[in-house]
Amino acid sequence: VEFTKVAADPSIVNLGQGLPDISPPSYVKEELSKAAVVDRLNQYTRGFGHPSLVKALSQVYERICGKKIDPLTDILVTVGAYGSLFSTIQALIEEGDEVIIIEPFYDCYEPMVKMAGAKPVFIPLRYENHGNSASSADWVLDPAELANKFNSKTKAIILNTPHNPIGKVFTREELQVIADLCIKHDTLCISDEVYEWLVYKGNKHIKIATLPGMWERTITIGSAGKTYSVTGWKLGWSIGPQHLIKHLQVVHQNTLYTCPTPLQEALAQAFWIDYKRMDDPECYFYSLSRELEGKRDRMAQLLREVGLKPVIPDGGYFMIVDVSTLNVDLSGLDEKQPYDYKFVKWMITSKKLSAIPLSAFCGPETKRQFEKYIRFCFIKKDSTLDAAEVILKNWNEQPA
Amino acid sequence: LLLLKASNSLSLSLQAKMSRPLQARRLEGIDKNIWVEFVKLASTYSTVNLGQGFPDFPPPDFLKEAFMKALSRENHMLHQYTRAFGHPPLVKILAQFFGKLLGQDLDPMTNVMVTVGAYQALFCCFQAFVDEGDEVIIIEPFFDCYESMVKMAGGTPVFVPLKLKAPKDGKLMSSADWQLDPAELASKFSKQTKAIVLNSPNNPLGKVFSRGEMELIADLCVKHDVLCFSDEVYEWLVYDGKEHIRIASLQGMWDRTVTIGSAGKTFSATGWKVGWTLGPNHLLKHLHTVHQNSVYHCATVAQEAVAQGFQRELELYGKPDSYFIQLPKLLQQKRDWLVQSLDAVGMKPIVPEGTYFLVADISEFKSDVPDVPNSDEPYDSRFAKWMVKNKGLAAIPLSAFYCGAHKNNYSHFIRFCFAKEEATLKAANDVLQKWKREKTSP
Repeated sequence: VEFTKVAADPSIVNLGQGLPDISPPSYVKEELSKAAVVDRLNQYTRGFGHPSLVKALSQVYERICGKKIDPLTDILVTVGAYGSLFSTIQALIEEGDEVIIIEPFYDCYEPMVKMAGAKPVFIPLRYENHGNSASSADWVLDPAELANKFNSKTKAIILNTPHNPIGKVFTREELQVIADLCIKHDTLCISDEVYEWLVYKGNKHIKIATLPGMWERTITIGSAGKTYSVTGWKLGWSIGPQHLIKHLQVVHQNTLYTCPTPLQEALAQAFWIDYKRMDDPECYFYSLSRELEGKRDRMAQLLREVGLKPVIPDGGYFMIVDVSTLNVDLSGLDEKQPYDYKFVKWMITSKKLSAIPLSAFCGPETKRQFEKYIRFCFIKKDSTLDAAEVILKNWNEQPA
Repeated sequence: LLLLKASNSLSLSLQAKMSRPLQARRLEGIDKNIWVEFVKLASTYSTVNLGQGFPDFPPPDFLKEAFMKALSRENHMLHQYTRAFGHPPLVKILAQFFGKLLGQDLDPMTNVMVTVGAYQALFCCFQAFVDEGDEVIIIEPFFDCYESMVKMAGGTPVFVPLKLKAPKDGKLMSSADWQLDPAELASKFSKQTKAIVLNSPNNPLGKVFSRGEMELIADLCVKHDVLCFSDEVYEWLVYDGKEHIRIASLQGMWDRTVTIGSAGKTFSATGWKVGWTLGPNHLLKHLHTVHQNSVYHCATVAQEAVAQGFQRELELYGKPDSYFIQLPKLLQQKRDWLVQSLDAVGMKPIVPEGTYFLVADISEFKSDVPDVPNSDEPYDSRFAKWMVKNKGLAAIPLSAFYCGAHKNNYSHFIRFCFAKEEATLKAANDVLQKWKREKTSP
C-alpha cells in the first residue's frame, strides 16, 4: 500500500508494483464485452464459483495434474489469489498453530497468518554461489534447517512457486524434500502457484499436489490476473480435495458469498479457448512466457550495463538485484530504515525509477540479510522498458 | 466390493492422517447456509423463482453502456489493479453524492471504502470491531449472514424481535405493524454490547424504520457508547411516499456509525458485487486493515461503470428520469400486483414499505403440508421445500431469518421476491390460482 501511492506519479517509471502495463489478449477483453450484454450474467451466480468457470478450471487442471477434479467440490473461486490465501488460512489455521513461511515471501502471508491467531515461522532461502552469473536457482533451502522448523504445532507450510520476488522455480527434488516433511509431520501445504505459466526455457513448473501423498493435504492457488494479465479482474481459485475445500467454502459463504458474474463467465470462455489449444505453442499459457523471457533478458542486460549483477529469474515476472555495489550515498536519509527502503526512496526521487525493497518481503530477523536487494517488475510494455533503459544508461552520468 | 472397501479405507486413512482438528474453530456453527440449499433447490425444481433476492430484469441501459464504454476505451489499464480502498472516480462520486444526503463533508480517501458487495462490507465491520466477549445486537428477522459473521468474529449475537401487532380488522398487514418493544430493546444493551446492526429498509419484512424508531436506537447507542452498522442496501426502494432515514445523520451518530450500500441493489446489477462503506476515518481505518488483509483490491471495471452510473444520478437527482425514482415506482407496482395475487388466493401478505421482498402468511395452505411432530426442521422450511418441488414456485421460509432458538416463533410465513418481470409475476399468479382451484374443488 505504501509504495503504490508513491509510484502513482506518472513521471516515474514504475517497475515496482507487480502489475502488467501490457494489454491482456484481445479475446479475453472481447469475452468480457460479450458477457456484459447478457442480462442474467449481471445477477448473482453460484456462490462457490460460476458453473462454466469451475467446469473450465477442472478440465484445464485435470489435464495438468492427471487427476480427476470435481468442479463443484474440489474448486472454490475467490476474489483474486489473495482471496484464496485468505479463505485457506481462515479455514484451516488458528490460535496455537504454527505456519512455516519461506523468506523472502509475498508480504500478505505474514499478516494473514497472524490475523488467524497463528505464529509465522520463517525460513530463508539462502544464496549458494555457483559461479559468475546469479540465477534464482542459486537460492535454496537448507534441508536440515527446514526440517528443524517442523514440530507438532506446525499446521501448514506456505509454498510459492514460481517464487515472488526471487523468481525461483522449485525443482522436483526440492519439492520432494518439502513433501516428505509435510507427510512426516502431518502438515498441510498451501501452494501459491499464481505464476505457474511464467516459467522460462529450461525450467518446468511442478505442482507439489501431484507428488505422492500430497493431494490430500494441499491447497493449490491460481490467479486469472497473472494467467491472463488482468490483475484488475481479481479472480483466483483454490483447488484441492473436498475435505479441505469444503472448509474454504464455509469461509467464502461468510465473507463475500459470491464473486462477480460477468468476469467469471468471460474467464471461463477464455479458458476454453486456451484449453482447446494446449497442444499448440500459440496457447497463451506458453506464448506469454515467451514474450516475457525477452523482457527478462532485456531487463537483465540493462542492469548489467549499470554495473549490477541481477539474479536471473527462472520464472515469474520479477527480478531482484543487489544494489549495494553501487555505493550510493544514502547518509542523508532516515538511519532507522533498512538500506533498500532508503535506496528505493532515493531512486524514485533522483532517478524517477521505482522498484520495491526486498526487506518488505522478510520477517524481522532476516531484514538485514536481504536489505541490499531491490525488486524490479518486467511485465511492462516496450515503451516503459525504453524509458527505464534511458534512466539506467544515464545512471552514472547524472549527479545524485 | 473388496477393492472398493480397500480404496475407501485407504482414502479414509489418508484423511484420518490429519489427526488433530483440521478446520479452524471459528467455523463452528457457521457451516450451514440457507442460500446454498435453497438456491440449489430453485435451480433444480423451480419454474417461477421468487426466492433469492435478485432482479430477473436487466440493469438500466445507462449502466450497461457505462460498462461497455469502460471496456472499449483505449486505456486497457482498467483491466489492472486500481486503488485498494476504492477506484478514485467511484469514491469521489460516492463522497459527493452521499455527503449531501448525510449532511457531512466526506473525504473520498478516508470516509469511503469500496467492498466486494455489501456482504464484504459487513464482513469487514464484524472483523474490525467485534472480538471475543463482545455482544452484537441483531434485530429479528434479520439477513442471515449477520449472525454467522458475529460468530466467526468470536462475538455473541443478542437478538431482539420485531413483533407483529395485529392490524385493524379487514386491513392487510403492513411491515409497519412489526415493531420493537422499546423496553425490551433497552434491556438488550449491556456493558458487553459493542454494536447493533440496523437494516432499514429491512430484509425480509420490508419495514422502513420511522424517525422515531431510529431515534430510539440512536439514543441507546449514544447512552451505551455502542457502534451502529447500518445496512442500507435497499435505501432507494421505499414506497408510498415513505422516507428512508440514514441513522448516521441523527444526533450523535456520525462518529459511531458505518453506513453500508450496494451497487447491486441500487442499480439492479447484483452480479457486479460492488458495495461500499461510509463513515468517519477513525472507524474506516480499521475496515482498511481488514480489507487489505483479506481481498486487498476490488475488480476495477465494474467500479468504473458504477461511478458513471452515480454521476448520471447526481445530475438527475430528484428529477423524474432518475433511476432512483423510476425503480421504486416500477417496484411499487410489482409489489401491489403480488399483494393482490396472494390476497386473492388466501395467502395473507404483509405489505412491505420498502425493499423488493414481501412476506406472506401461508396458514390457509397448511393442509397441503402436514405437520410433523418433533421435527427438527421448522414448518415453513418444509413448506417452502414442498412448494418448490410440487408447485415449481420458489420462496424462502421466514425461519431462515431467525436464530436457531427462535426459528419456530413465526412458522407460517414465507418470503417472496417481487423484483421480477411482469411475465414472472403473472406466472406466479397462475401457479397460485391453479393451486387454489385444486384445493377448493372436490
